[in-house]
Amino acid sequence: MPTEAAATPQLAHHFPSLEAQEHAARMGMWLFLATEILLFTVLFTAYAVYRFLFPTGFEDASKFAHVALGATNTVVLITSSLTVALAIYYARQGESRKTVALLAVTIAFGAAFLVLKGFEYHDHFVEGQLPGRYYHFEGLSGPGVSMYFTLYFLMTGLHGLHVVVGMGVLTWVAVRAARGDFSRSYSTPVELGGLYWHLVDLIWIFLFPLFYLL
Amino acid sequence: MAATSHAHKEFGPAQYLAVWVGLLVLTALTVAVWKMHFSLGTRVTLALTIATFKAGLVALFFMHLWEHGGVTRLVMATSLLFLVLLIGLVLADNATRFQYANPPYSEPWLQVPYQQMAPPMQDQPPPLEAAPPQRRP
Repeated sequence: MPTEAAATPQLAHHFPSLEAQEHAARMGMWLFLATEILLFTVLFTAYAVYRFLFPTGFEDASKFAHVALGATNTVVLITSSLTVALAIYYARQGESRKTVALLAVTIAFGAAFLVLKGFEYHDHFVEGQLPGRYYHFEGLSGPGVSMYFTLYFLMTGLHGLHVVVGMGVLTWVAVRAARGDFSRSYSTPVELGGLYWHLVDLIWIFLFPLFYLL
Repeated sequence: MAATSHAHKEFGPAQYLAVWVGLLVLTALTVAVWKMHFSLGTRVTLALTIATFKAGLVALFFMHLWEHGGVTRLVMATSLLFLVLLIGLVLADNATRFQYANPPYSEPWLQVPYQQMAPPMQDQPPPLEAAPPQRRP
């Protein structure tokens, strides 16, 4: 459709329409998200196995998790998901300035999450609640206890890495939005970057109860 | 064209705010359940149920699965299927193992919980019930 291609310079020539291009991009993103889900599934499986083998050790160790910080971080990530969803909405309406502002707020929430997580890590380091053979906390010992902290650092660490990557992606999207790359007819990068951020939220929704509340 | 064809079923700020409030309520609920000190089984069930509801809200509304559907739902469903398969089968493996094939002091096979054991830790895992010797035909 040469007329449409002329009207929308973002359309790659091998797609019949902008809609088809958007569908392909979205499906590609979801396939990537599926691999991310499976990556974390392996770690959740490790958690399930060791929790099953050492229920008492895990229950005792989780009493040393900072529930208040964890709950605050849950609220922070949920709210950042809201701001991203709104950013996508305004990008589709062609209101780039609101999109940029909301993305900036989201990135700030991501930074707040990392700062709170840093306080938590600091406390665990000071107490000696460390993974594997580096565990030297006097207050609690027994089978499975250090495995709890190994999995805690591994899973929240990998999740934290995803927060950092998500902040980078959203920064790039915000810069493009500020440059005026997006319009009513084309805002796919905002949507796909937002999908990544929601996945980060989705994983935290499960990490929070598993490590803090059980 | 693309903008108008799905504009009519798109969600707006009001719906997103409602989803956000729902997520906050469920977060408060999961912390409240934790404070009530139920038995471990109840807590695990409740916490994972609430987390699944929250994940459903995020996936359906924030991640647009409700609006878009189609092949993206299939991708999500497939990854969830493999999640269930992996966790389910690996747990089933550990649960049905011969005792000594699991790490020492792993609890499902101990007669007494680890913490109630006599202070000097037993070096030997608790004995299996003696099985009658099998006679070969």
